[in-house]
Amino acid sequence: MLTLAPDASSLRAAQPLASGRSWPLTGAADDRVLWGEYLGRAATPYRTVVDLSGPAYRCSCPSRKFPCKHALALLLLWSDGAVGRDAAPPDWAATWIAGRAARASDTRDSRPPADPAAAQRRAEQREARVATGLTELDRWLCDQVRQGLAVSQRSGYRHWDDIAARMVDAQAPGLAERLRALAAVPYSGPGWDARLLEEYALLRLLATACRDQAALPPPLRDTVRSRVGFTVRQADLLASATPVRDHWHVLARRDLDRDRIRTRRSWLRGQRTGRTALVLSFAAVGQSLDDSLAVGTVTDADLAFYPGTVPLRALVAARRDTVSCGPPPGRTVAGLLAGYAAALGEDPWLDTWPAVLTATPARVPLPCLYDTSGEALPLHPGAGDCWPLFALSGGHPLTVAAEWTPRGLWPLTAWDGDGMVVPL
Amino acid sequence: MSTWHDLVTASLIGTERTVVPAVSIPGLAPAEDDAGDPAAVLLDRAALLTAARRAGRQPDHAEPLPVCEPDPRPAMNPAAGRRLARMLSGEYPELLTEWLTAVAARGLRLPPHLLPTLLDRARRALPVDAGLPRLLAEAGGPRVRWLAGLNPDWEHSVEEPATDDETWRLGDARQRRGYLTSLLARDPDAARALITGSWDAAGAAERAMFLSALAGALDPADEPLLETALDDRAEDVRRWAAYLLARLPGSALGQRMAERALRYVWLEHAAQGPRLSVGPPGRPDAALQRDGITSRPDLVRVPLESRSQVLLEVLARTPLRAWTDGFGLAPPEVVALPSGGWAPVLFAGWSRAATAQGNAAWMTALIRAALTGRRPGTTAEIEALRQLVRRADPGRGAPGATPESADAPDVSPPIRDAVRVLRFRYTMLKELDDE
Repeated sequence: MLTLAPDASSLRAAQPLASGRSWPLTGAADDRVLWGEYLGRAATPYRTVVDLSGPAYRCSCPSRKFPCKHALALLLLWSDGAVGRDAAPPDWAATWIAGRAARASDTRDSRPPADPAAAQRRAEQREARVATGLTELDRWLCDQVRQGLAVSQRSGYRHWDDIAARMVDAQAPGLAERLRALAAVPYSGPGWDARLLEEYALLRLLATACRDQAALPPPLRDTVRSRVGFTVRQADLLASATPVRDHWHVLARRDLDRDRIRTRRSWLRGQRTGRTALVLSFAAVGQSLDDSLAVGTVTDADLAFYPGTVPLRALVAARRDTVSCGPPPGRTVAGLLAGYAAALGEDPWLDTWPAVLTATPARVPLPCLYDTSGEALPLHPGAGDCWPLFALSGGHPLTVAAEWTPRGLWPLTAWDGDGMVVPL
Repeated sequence: MSTWHDLVTASLIGTERTVVPAVSIPGLAPAEDDAGDPAAVLLDRAALLTAARRAGRQPDHAEPLPVCEPDPRPAMNPAAGRRLARMLSGEYPELLTEWLTAVAARGLRLPPHLLPTLLDRARRALPVDAGLPRLLAEAGGPRVRWLAGLNPDWEHSVEEPATDDETWRLGDARQRRGYLTSLLARDPDAARALITGSWDAAGAAERAMFLSALAGALDPADEPLLETALDDRAEDVRRWAAYLLARLPGSALGQRMAERALRYVWLEHAAQGPRLSVGPPGRPDAALQRDGITSRPDLVRVPLESRSQVLLEVLARTPLRAWTDGFGLAPPEVVALPSGGWAPVLFAGWSRAATAQGNAAWMTALIRAALTGRRPGTTAEIEALRQLVRRADPGRGAPGATPESADAPDVSPPIRDAVRVLRFRYTMLKELDDE
């Protein structure tokens, strides 16, 4: 519950409010919805509703924090057992609950575009713009290599921002994002030149693959188009994909702030199918991200996978029960590398691959994780010292969930000796 | 893979000025001579090699770390672990010492993943708070020692009880202090003999260190040394001596303070009932200065402020029994006596005395008075209340132990904070006893 608070100060603000005296009315129904009226200094009580299945919150207070302290205090009361169960919600709470249920079924509907002909025209225009953009990008990439990468090192951020902006104009946001990320590479320490060349080479491969997409088999075409920035509408995906039902173990998550957008990557593994899934959620900076997938829990859910050669990204189509769970089965370093190699054969642009290892951290010659056969993989230099990982291990093996990248492992979750989950 | 390095070098120089190296990948036929743009050829070959290199990545080898010895103590419950995380991220960080002491006393194991933050905290607290490294060594057990050994930054974050007298003869000031503290705990007589034996030869900083080490193990046997130290050449030493004597039950300094206090504050039986009258002292005389009370230079020009400041300092050093014995009243009755405009000075002075002397009955009476009666308003009172609620019996924060009125929406921030601290302390200690 504490992880739902947007920050520590909200939680501090909520604690003193969680007193029965301040809540003349509270109730809960189906172990799913809580409501209450908070009597503070305002003339009328604040009305707070929490839907635990989201979780989602609604409060009549003017706070812009989300969830606000009243919602958090209500949750605290509820977790203390101070909220009566199985009550009938008052009208104001019932209205909101019904509205949410209606909206939830709405987003599942796939509504046809209003004007098919206009939509068709727009799609063709976009294809044309992207094609022009790809030609321009290819020319730009070749220019870089013709002049030499030493020149780009001296040119500063603007160098990549300009070409990224042109890819935005060409409606290829996937390319733009990859290009913007390159601005940091010349300052990423020894080996920057090799990393920049790798990225330029993969970008040209993507540009040429997209230009010749008609010749590609459909799954590869989908992979290429999604990496360039063509998106599949959620409604279309839910209408077309066959959902995969499983008990999905939430292994890890990582939040990234970029360009005023917060992205949360949640990594899931199916206990029956063994499939790995990546669920993305987005929020504006300062807003709280979707918390419905808590690390260390197992959710019975249907996932709809986006098409591609290595289908990783998925959408939660339906959710049922969620329970806590111990560590997932860990793999060896060899198993991880073999899995990644196989995936690269299908999607050469794949540079973030989920890893669950049973391994021991070490510091020499570089911070790394090694398995029982003594094979080691380095930790990502950007992941810092990872001291909590070392503290948890005490020199013994433990289960670690991480993202494997060409630069090393980025540890995200560890399970301690008692099987307790610890987000790193 | 030299081919890859050749490609990187060529790309750095630029294909304008160099030729594109040939590429060979095991299992793949060598690329034919490509007649196209050399830059495009280089990028295509680099893409092929990048995929091949990533897919063919070989694992490294590592040197294992030493294995940490097991800690047989039971893990604390998850709620207590989450509370530590909250305290480390800024919620009542000043209560960490009390919490860690309680954890060590109950023989519980700390959540290992929070040890790095605790070690950083202990490092930042040095040299002001040398207690945290000792406490961390005790509460953290073998795991924290193992972890501190991995990072030179944490060299001083964990302090073992120093028992080797080499440390005393050859160690630096911090190590000597550690040795003395641990000797005071193990063999107080030997430690006192060591202090008196080294006193004359010690420098001023070291004499102050001796006295500061005594603070945790004060005993009536220390009084002669402390009385002598009141006349020390160094101001720091004189201040420590006066501070410790005021906390020492039955000291002559306490007796002198009690005589002064009862001269400045007396009980009067007026028509409306008993009340306290105050005749504050003037400028501190030589005897008062010897006992550690000097005029604050910033107040000399404001006679009334200066006089109430001196009164407050005297009250803070007066044994609280002087009041209960002198007036024949219990602590809550003394605290409830009306005293007009002097009430804030009396409250702050008594509160400081109660925390310094660790007097639970007085702390309870003063907290109750602040929460139910006249609300603390002056800076000195608010600070005194802050200290009271951090030292008082944590049972004061139990459900129902704080007055209902402290939850009213219009209650002032100092009162609200005081109640929160009491409740937080009560819950954090109770939580440690939960399964």
